[in-house]
Amino acid sequence: MAGNKQRKFTSSMQKKLVVLFFLVLLAFAYLIIRIANINRDNGEAYKKQVLAQQSYDSTTLPFKRGSIEDRNGTVLAYSEKVYNLIVDSKLLNVDDGIHVEPTLDILQKSFAELDISDVRNYVEKNPGASYKKYLKQLESNRIENYNAMIDEAISANSVRRDELRKEGRTEEADAIADPAKNGVWFEEEYKRKYPYNTLACDVLGFVQTGNEGQYGLEEYYNDTLNGINGRSYGYLNADGTLTRTVKEADDGYTLVTSLDTNIQSITEKHIKEFAEKNRNAYRTGPAADNIGVIIMNPNNGEVLAMAGYPVFDLNDPQDMEGVDLTQYAGLLSRSDLAEAVGVSVNEVSGNEIDLMELVTNESLSDNAIIKNAVWKNYCISDTYEPGSTMKPFTVAAAIDSASIRGDEVYVCNGALEIGEHTIHCHNRFGDGPLSVKQGIAKSCNVVLMDVAFAMGKQEWLRYNRNFGFGNYTGIDLAGESNGASNVFTEKMGQTDLAVASFGQGFNVSMIQMAAGFSALINGGRYYEPHLVTRVVNSEGAVVKEYEPKEIKQIISSDVSDEVRDDCNAVVMSEPEDCTGWTARPAGYTMGGKTGTAEKLPRAAKNYVISFMGYVPADDPEVLCYVVIDHPNHEDQSNSTRLATTLCKDIMTEVLPYLNIFPTVELTDEEREELSDAEAGFFIGSDAVSGNAISANAVSGNSVSENSISENEIYTPNVIQYDPGTGFPLDPNTGEILDPKTLLPIDENVKSDLEY
Amino acid sequence: MDTARRVRVRPVKKEKIQGQADRSLIFIVLFLVVFGLIMIYSASAYSAVRAGRKANYYLMSQLRATLLGLLAMAGISKVDYHVLKKFAWPAYFVSLVLIALVLTPLGMTINGARRWLNLGLSLQPAEVAKVGVIVFFSAYVCGNLKRVQHLRGIIKTIILAAVPALMVYSITDNLSSAIIIFAIVYIMLFIASPKSAPYIILAAVLVTIAMLIVYVIAHNIIPAELSYRLGRIKAWLDPEAYASNRGFQTLQALYSIGSGGVLGKGLGQSTQKLGFVPEAQNDMIFSIICEELGMFGALAVILLFIMLIYHLLMIATNAPDLFGSLLVTGVMTHFALQVVLNIAVVTNTLLNTGITLPFISYGGSSSVFLLTEIGIALSVSRSIRMG
Repeated sequence: MAGNKQRKFTSSMQKKLVVLFFLVLLAFAYLIIRIANINRDNGEAYKKQVLAQQSYDSTTLPFKRGSIEDRNGTVLAYSEKVYNLIVDSKLLNVDDGIHVEPTLDILQKSFAELDISDVRNYVEKNPGASYKKYLKQLESNRIENYNAMIDEAISANSVRRDELRKEGRTEEADAIADPAKNGVWFEEEYKRKYPYNTLACDVLGFVQTGNEGQYGLEEYYNDTLNGINGRSYGYLNADGTLTRTVKEADDGYTLVTSLDTNIQSITEKHIKEFAEKNRNAYRTGPAADNIGVIIMNPNNGEVLAMAGYPVFDLNDPQDMEGVDLTQYAGLLSRSDLAEAVGVSVNEVSGNEIDLMELVTNESLSDNAIIKNAVWKNYCISDTYEPGSTMKPFTVAAAIDSASIRGDEVYVCNGALEIGEHTIHCHNRFGDGPLSVKQGIAKSCNVVLMDVAFAMGKQEWLRYNRNFGFGNYTGIDLAGESNGASNVFTEKMGQTDLAVASFGQGFNVSMIQMAAGFSALINGGRYYEPHLVTRVVNSEGAVVKEYEPKEIKQIISSDVSDEVRDDCNAVVMSEPEDCTGWTARPAGYTMGGKTGTAEKLPRAAKNYVISFMGYVPADDPEVLCYVVIDHPNHEDQSNSTRLATTLCKDIMTEVLPYLNIFPTVELTDEEREELSDAEAGFFIGSDAVSGNAISANAVSGNSVSENSISENEIYTPNVIQYDPGTGFPLDPNTGEILDPKTLLPIDENVKSDLEY
Repeated sequence: MDTARRVRVRPVKKEKIQGQADRSLIFIVLFLVVFGLIMIYSASAYSAVRAGRKANYYLMSQLRATLLGLLAMAGISKVDYHVLKKFAWPAYFVSLVLIALVLTPLGMTINGARRWLNLGLSLQPAEVAKVGVIVFFSAYVCGNLKRVQHLRGIIKTIILAAVPALMVYSITDNLSSAIIIFAIVYIMLFIASPKSAPYIILAAVLVTIAMLIVYVIAHNIIPAELSYRLGRIKAWLDPEAYASNRGFQTLQALYSIGSGGVLGKGLGQSTQKLGFVPEAQNDMIFSIICEELGMFGALAVILLFIMLIYHLLMIATNAPDLFGSLLVTGVMTHFALQVVLNIAVVTNTLLNTGITLPFISYGGSSSVFLLTEIGIALSVSRSIRMG
């Protein structure tokens, strides 16, 4: 049985097998330690990595910030989704960089403007970098195109690989490299666009980064305009199916404002003309330190236009090139200004260098104070002494409080002695006996001081507060000032009351003045000045409607009528009897009040001139308030004409647009002047015609429907006038129309209607 | 013979019913098979649904193969294993023919790899070859015990082993199966041979060569671009640098293991199987076990395999004759190799070569023939004479 014995599993074999078993045990022990080590050393990192991989599937869907529209649906601000091209060098360089060239190849084909050798260079030199922005704000169709090309290349490669594998050329098949899908990605963002660039810049405000509005409506209504980000994520349902859930972003609400793009453009155009014409008119420098114009409906507080100077491009608010900054040089301290213009401080203190002479736009364009001054809205943020535009308020308060009857006659000797002070009238020789109405028409200080004294400070203060001075008007714009620190209180003395009667010694803001004056002439009802009339959601449904907000009745309707009558005399009297006749647009009746306020320090003899006007005189439909701070004029105290003519220029163009028809027969002179002015209406103006709109109007979305071409703006509002009567003509038939009813006038009746 | 005595003590009860198969082994195998089915369902449900199939697609397919395998196991365990001696050469040639058939239109490509035969059921010839080789070489070594003690005999035997191994490698492009086939024979020879030194030296030389290649690639002495497989060495050494491609599977498996912690996320709670670990029900299923059941679960699985291997060791050492011992030695070697190599790959201890975890990884052929091997071992265990 030797053979049989040999076929036994010998003990040496058994030993070997047992040794082998222990080797296997050793291997297992090692592997168990290895698993423990992985958990100990990398457990936390890998847990995070696993979670990170899961959330990779979850993406934020950014909301779209709401638009801002004017009263006719013209879009003034909107958000557009754009994409930034990001190169992730780290992901592009995986697998020894085999994916780089296929990816760059498709990038080159998709984005011709991309310098591909630059990208290649970057990817080669920075293999660890994962974020490099190459192209900014690309439109979505280009991204879709790129992604389609990538997918096409990957599927073509996969087909080719299968073919090669079938032929057994496995190595070749493996050598085919796909473009790296993750190596290039597109960052989504919304870009805020302002199709009219500079139009209404102070009112709208702007968005630079994120969705944070700065200034104006953008800031005030930031939360309304913003929506809620959506999210797209995957999860496993009960069947183990990966379900993708998209929670759409809630887009922000759109604001419909009372602004009228056309009126705003007209206003800005005339301000610009004024600023350019009067630059260096007397002294070297800008036309004025500040210019502000508010146009509003006095019967409901809606602001139709609000403009200042200079304007800036909302699409690039940081870019101050082309913005006239020199008017703000005075805001800087002497040393800051010296630094800005590049003169050493020592030089400044030693010599009397006129730094203002050295100031250029470039030297100021980086200064934060200057930028802030450009961005803020003069019409609501700045306060100043109003001057004589205050006089109708004083008279209204006196009559309404029954302190005077209104038919008193006061004697002006050119000055009034109050205590130690002698307060002069504008006409130092005095105008003799004047009625209250004449006192307003001629802007006599003595009459007004007498009226104020008749009323006393308590009544004056009560009405002053009622008209809203020292309080916020509540206008829906960011950055309003109330001027509370610069209004009179119970401590005011007799001299204070004297100067207060004609608008000196306390500060107001333009919007306070315009809102208060509206109440003065509309029957005494004070409306909160307002811009937004409607809030609309992204589907177009109205979310909130702002009805005109009547806050209070300040004066009685009779008093309002009387004061309006007084103010009408300011514009409608014979030129030698009034101060505002130059403000009247040809063909219209108008009332208003001029203002010439002496600025502090009084010795400097600098003035804020202004004009508050309304049309038509008896039933005001539109109010225009013009303020010019420190006009560039030889005789500032006699320069109210600058304000009245600016008002006239604007109103001459705005009134026909608003379908307010002229009711006064034109003189030959006026007719000539008007036809000259009409030649300048819109056409050829920088504000609306030309590149400004067409170049920026965006194609392919709702905005283009709303963007206006110059014809559209202009044609519906062309009014032809009958040269004989000054009455409007029917654009189709050429018939003369009744200016009030707009119905054709029978020839027989016509003679009766003639003035 | 400490170990041998212990075995003798334990199966005392077996004396009553002579010819009783090793019940513990059956229990361990059944436990692993059922556990495998559960894990396959957990790991594959998501990808099955993603691929447009029913969630239990992989489970049902594996269940059918398992039932078939259990039938084969039960059947073979009843048969006297000496019968297999007669089938030694046929087993060898059938294995070769089946491998060769992959080249014919009967061959089937799955996931880009041509490794299967379509015979109504899909069959992976490499798995058949593993059983075939074990049966053939047990009989061959038994019959040529004197010859395999000399160099010529050894070389001849090695050539006989190299033929199926090379065919598996070249025809089905399956290096790991080729290595396992060759290693099974090599270890059987080593066990059967009275000498140890030459085998140990040769193994040491092979390991040294492998380490040299790795060293050379790691230090860029030879560019890895020369061959795809050399490139994989780089990915093995630094999977994070190849995170999106060659290192992806390994790295994701490591993430799974690392995120499991001590007790794991709970059965079915893996997130890595949701499309991150590719073919989670396959080679990398051990990483899902680690993620869901933690280090505790992993340890339990490893202990089960250790018990399995220990039982095979006991049967091999107590088998009534050399043939039986060699058969079970082959089976034991096969199991030990696959389990150790699989876990080593999943933990990135070794290069990713694509080795499945016995009874747990998805794979019909593998399951059927592994159970067949257990059947052979059970048949041997039945003939152990007690007392």
